[in-house]
Amino acid sequence: MTQPNRLDGGQIDRTRKLKFSWNGTFYSGYHGDTLASALLANGQRLVGRSFKYHRPRGIFSAGSEEPNALVQLRTGAAQEPNTRATTIELFDGLKATSQNHRGSLEYDLMAANDLLSPFLSAGFYYKTFMWPKAFWEQFYEPVIRASAGLGRLSMEPDPDVYDHGYLHCDLLIIGAGPAGLTAALTAARAGLRVILADEDFTPGGRLNAETYAVDDQPGATWAAAVTAELQAMDNVRLMTRTTVYGAYDHGVYGALERKTDHLANANGKPRQVLWRLYTKRALLTAGSTERSIAFGNNDRPGVMLAGAVRTYVNRFGVAPGKKVAIFTNNDDGLRTADDLRAKGVDITRIIDARQGDNVVNTVGRKGLHTVYLNGGRHVEADCLAVSGGWSPNVHLTCHHRGRPVWNEQIAGFTPGKDLPPGMVVAGAANGAMTLAAAIRQAHEAAQSIAAGLGKTVRDTAPKASDETFDTAPFWHVAESKTRAWVDLQNDVTTKDIKQSHQEGFRSVEHLKRYTTLGMATDQGKTANILGLALMAEAQGKSIQDTGTTIFRPPYNPVAIGAFAGRARGKDFRPTRLTPSHRWAEENGADFVETGMWLRAQWFKQPGEKGWRDSVDREAAMVRKSVGICDVTTLGKIDIQGRDAAEFLNRIYANAFLKLPVGKVRYGLMLREDGICYDDGTTARLAENHFVMTTTTANAVTVFRNMEFARQCLWPDLDVHLISTTDAWAQFGVAGPNARALLSKVVDDLDLSNDAFPFMACTDCTVFGGTPARLFRISFSGELAYEVAVPARYGDAMIRALMEVGQEFDAVPYGTEALGVLRIEKGHAAGNELNGQTTAQMLGLGGMVSKKKDSIGSKLSERPALNGDDDMRLVGFKPVDKTIGLTAGAHFLSPGDPEDMAHDQGWMTSVAYSPELGHSIGLGYLKRGQDRLGEQIRSYSPVRGGNTMVEVCSPHHIDPEGHRQRG
Amino acid sequence: MANLTLTASPALGGIELEIGQNRIAERSDLAIVSIATPLGGKDILAKTLNTGWSLTMPDPIMSTVEGNTRAIRTSPDQILLIFPHGTPDANATVQKKLNGTGYTTDQTDAWVILEISGPDTLKALERLCLLDTATFEIGQSARTMMEHMGALIIRLEDDRFMLMSASSSAGSFLHAVETSYNYVS
Amino acid sequence: MIINHPLLGPRDAAEFTVLGDASLLHRPDGMTATMDDMHDYAYLRDNPAGLHRELWYHEQGDRSWLVVTRNTLTHDVENVELARDVARTEGRSK
Repeated sequence: MTQPNRLDGGQIDRTRKLKFSWNGTFYSGYHGDTLASALLANGQRLVGRSFKYHRPRGIFSAGSEEPNALVQLRTGAAQEPNTRATTIELFDGLKATSQNHRGSLEYDLMAANDLLSPFLSAGFYYKTFMWPKAFWEQFYEPVIRASAGLGRLSMEPDPDVYDHGYLHCDLLIIGAGPAGLTAALTAARAGLRVILADEDFTPGGRLNAETYAVDDQPGATWAAAVTAELQAMDNVRLMTRTTVYGAYDHGVYGALERKTDHLANANGKPRQVLWRLYTKRALLTAGSTERSIAFGNNDRPGVMLAGAVRTYVNRFGVAPGKKVAIFTNNDDGLRTADDLRAKGVDITRIIDARQGDNVVNTVGRKGLHTVYLNGGRHVEADCLAVSGGWSPNVHLTCHHRGRPVWNEQIAGFTPGKDLPPGMVVAGAANGAMTLAAAIRQAHEAAQSIAAGLGKTVRDTAPKASDETFDTAPFWHVAESKTRAWVDLQNDVTTKDIKQSHQEGFRSVEHLKRYTTLGMATDQGKTANILGLALMAEAQGKSIQDTGTTIFRPPYNPVAIGAFAGRARGKDFRPTRLTPSHRWAEENGADFVETGMWLRAQWFKQPGEKGWRDSVDREAAMVRKSVGICDVTTLGKIDIQGRDAAEFLNRIYANAFLKLPVGKVRYGLMLREDGICYDDGTTARLAENHFVMTTTTANAVTVFRNMEFARQCLWPDLDVHLISTTDAWAQFGVAGPNARALLSKVVDDLDLSNDAFPFMACTDCTVFGGTPARLFRISFSGELAYEVAVPARYGDAMIRALMEVGQEFDAVPYGTEALGVLRIEKGHAAGNELNGQTTAQMLGLGGMVSKKKDSIGSKLSERPALNGDDDMRLVGFKPVDKTIGLTAGAHFLSPGDPEDMAHDQGWMTSVAYSPELGHSIGLGYLKRGQDRLGEQIRSYSPVRGGNTMVEVCSPHHIDPEGHRQRG
Repeated sequence: MANLTLTASPALGGIELEIGQNRIAERSDLAIVSIATPLGGKDILAKTLNTGWSLTMPDPIMSTVEGNTRAIRTSPDQILLIFPHGTPDANATVQKKLNGTGYTTDQTDAWVILEISGPDTLKALERLCLLDTATFEIGQSARTMMEHMGALIIRLEDDRFMLMSASSSAGSFLHAVETSYNYVS
Repeated sequence: MIINHPLLGPRDAAEFTVLGDASLLHRPDGMTATMDDMHDYAYLRDNPAGLHRELWYHEQGDRSWLVVTRNTLTHDVENVELARDVARTEGRSK
């Protein structure tokens, strides 16, 4: 396990040797390596196949801009495709495989695509798969799907955990290169709360990759010293392995911290944390990214950005090649020669475009071996270091739709004037392309930010010298006859750009969509500018006038798992439990989610085969004797104040002003447009004290709307609201024996019909002194009460109620039986309140008081909502009693065609009524109130029902209400 | 039926947990009563608070304490009084002292109260609370949300906070707090 | 997005729900309004490119309704007031 390309030096720990596997073969590297540097150290130049043509590809860069070296990391469920080898920290036992080939990496069967390349140029899909039309679904799409996409998902749930969090600071510094470190030190010394974030695992940026000196020390040594100083300061949070991926409104930034990606085992800790950063100011010191030059076959393994070559040599002690040629248009590229020579690497030729030398073509199928120059010259090289200049990383400056400005001097885009508010840019990201200039600018920026936040500091900028920086824009080698790549990740060539121009795609946004230039995981970090320059050239326009595509978050890919964070499975949302939940679990309850609540839907008894057995028994027992149901989930709102009654009178469509103390009233709530949206009961406990119930679903909305009315519409009414939904455990006790049962529960209270009639309410105590509230209200149509105790007594209460109830064969009943009972009684519920329901449709038109102004009352009077032909809630029963009704079915007159023109209404709710022994329904029917006894068709093309039904009163049982009043 | 006296069970059964050197404990000994200020009655209520409890009216982000009783502002015209009280008549005791100067509602059963403490507390809160809890002063309070649940947070000491949330979702709330400690890394 | 609550200071918009145009403060009295008045109140809103007064509700906070003056082009929040105060200033009472 020797590492043939390992050099001396570098910032790796040679005492910590790490073993890793690449395509099943074991290699070794050192702590401090990336997978890319370790692969290069082991002489692995071919690391993947390109997206479209399956061209052999090697490592191209040394950072997150990497377009080529996308690998599958880890195995099994933890397998992650498309990770960049250049950013993966090596750990012991790391397993990675190459992707996008059929068969082995060396002999990819899909490489035939490369031979077909004349047919696979820009727009190939759009042009080719158009005909014959019938081929699309059967043939083209399956084939394309099989070939498309990079990497493979494990198809198993992600075994890692993710988290999110919130951080606050005065100043967020994005990028811990020389500029970022300088600014952080100054800002921190000034006393600002600083967050310094960098996507690398070692702060220092290019200082780790170059041989610059700062403050008379090697740059990397200086960076390490500053890092240590910052780490020791309480007001600094240094976040390595953290990518700030987006700039949002009002100083909010998004960042992804990779917590355990560099560890073999996360030990249950979150793999990644998505942070929301609240900042007063942000300083972007994100540096710049090197770009390539388009020349013939510039995509071979061995062709690498010059800056990356220096990174591998200086930082990782790895030679990307034994014989290196250099192709550059700037001075920075020449540094490569010096650095490599210093390490004893053989430089075969420096090809400087500024002197008219060009690379025309390269040769070497699975790895470069010869470079052809203009003028018929050639030179041997297994590595070609290319520098086409550096592009400032302006991405985050554009996240609020700011547009960068073309800077001819550095041949790159620099930030425009319309930055996100609070953002300042310094260093190479701002076009300060030399070290001393970048440090100076960052130092000044930090001082000025500190001053702006009321802090002063007197320190001097770290000392560095300005290296020479001379660049001449040079984009592509015109003499090249072979394909020249612009975007390596998407296999976009110079020819594609010219072609899309010829075909009329003149806007850069169109160019991007048509050619896929700048798409996918790298978002064209090394390719975009080159593509724009070629586009500009084709159009005869300047690069500034050609413009850029919009940069949007995220700067680098963020896993969906990180956005989801903890919100997976049961943790997707909170769960609310009723006070009787534990008891219900012990007693065979089956639970249903209603919003966040879990409610018992039925209680299974031994011998019951299906849910219907349980529900029929529960509903029947309520009608026969007595049943108990936890109704805590209904919203409860405590309403107090001198004007509480007046307020309710305006909130409810029906009158409330004169509700006597000790009484409950049904209330109907309208939206301002006159449509019913909620109903419930409100009890008057005292002159200025009411307690309202809402439906479970609308508890939050009703509260919000009432706060709106209280604060915004009638700010001088003395009325106060507080939710008491969770404060009271409330149980419905319904059935002919309800009174008998409750008389054994309630202390010293006359429950006779005269003393405590239908719609009465009172404070009381139960079971010898526990405070309670008792309401005589009925949802089932039976003699019924609701009794409430403080929630902490809820568990004890249900147990005690059931014990007392044994004498009456009392049953607990769930939401299904509750539904059966209310359909039998003809009470409207959620199915009937669908956002189109008027009071008239419910048969409650007369309830809407015209003697007062209440929310929605005026618009409910609109003629269109009150026509003679309107829908009306009525009941339905099957003509053939053995047939079950179908909810959602539409009503048609017998003989009418099944179309909307003949539609007469629809079935809203159905249930089997154990009381009546057949299926029953509620629904809306045109002029339903006048059609009782008529037989019509109930037709459901969706669920297949086609039944004759008889129209009847919605009150299937006890239409006169004797039972509930008895 | 004489033996059927109801016994109270706190939302989380009075749970106490230790995670490393940190502690999460349910406070089931505290009663909570809300007091709404009658329109135009701010000064009288403030005076009653002072005579009845020696409490100053809390401002929107700072609770006040006297003895065992803490007052927290929850709305422009509403505060919560929190105090140790074992029986379910907290509302009546507050009403008696208020003598009609505020509208009270017993909120004891509406909330679960967790006291969290220990060296990782601020780091756990970073994952739970979007407010800048590290800069909270002692006694500072805020109503906010945590993991989609409405919550109230009060800083008691440097590393000790009181968290309150709806009692029906107490289990989810505890899980969120516990997970936040467990995920500190 | 951050809303600078007049009583509580800057708070994340995640704590709020938004209702929309603050013209909703001006609900006509249903006993005297014409059907057209009430219709316009319920249905018609301005949707300006630029400054917009909006109603926001601090649902996961102190339950205050706020009038937020926000620039829909830049997202700048220029002013935040308690809706109750605004309502009173603009003539609403009982």
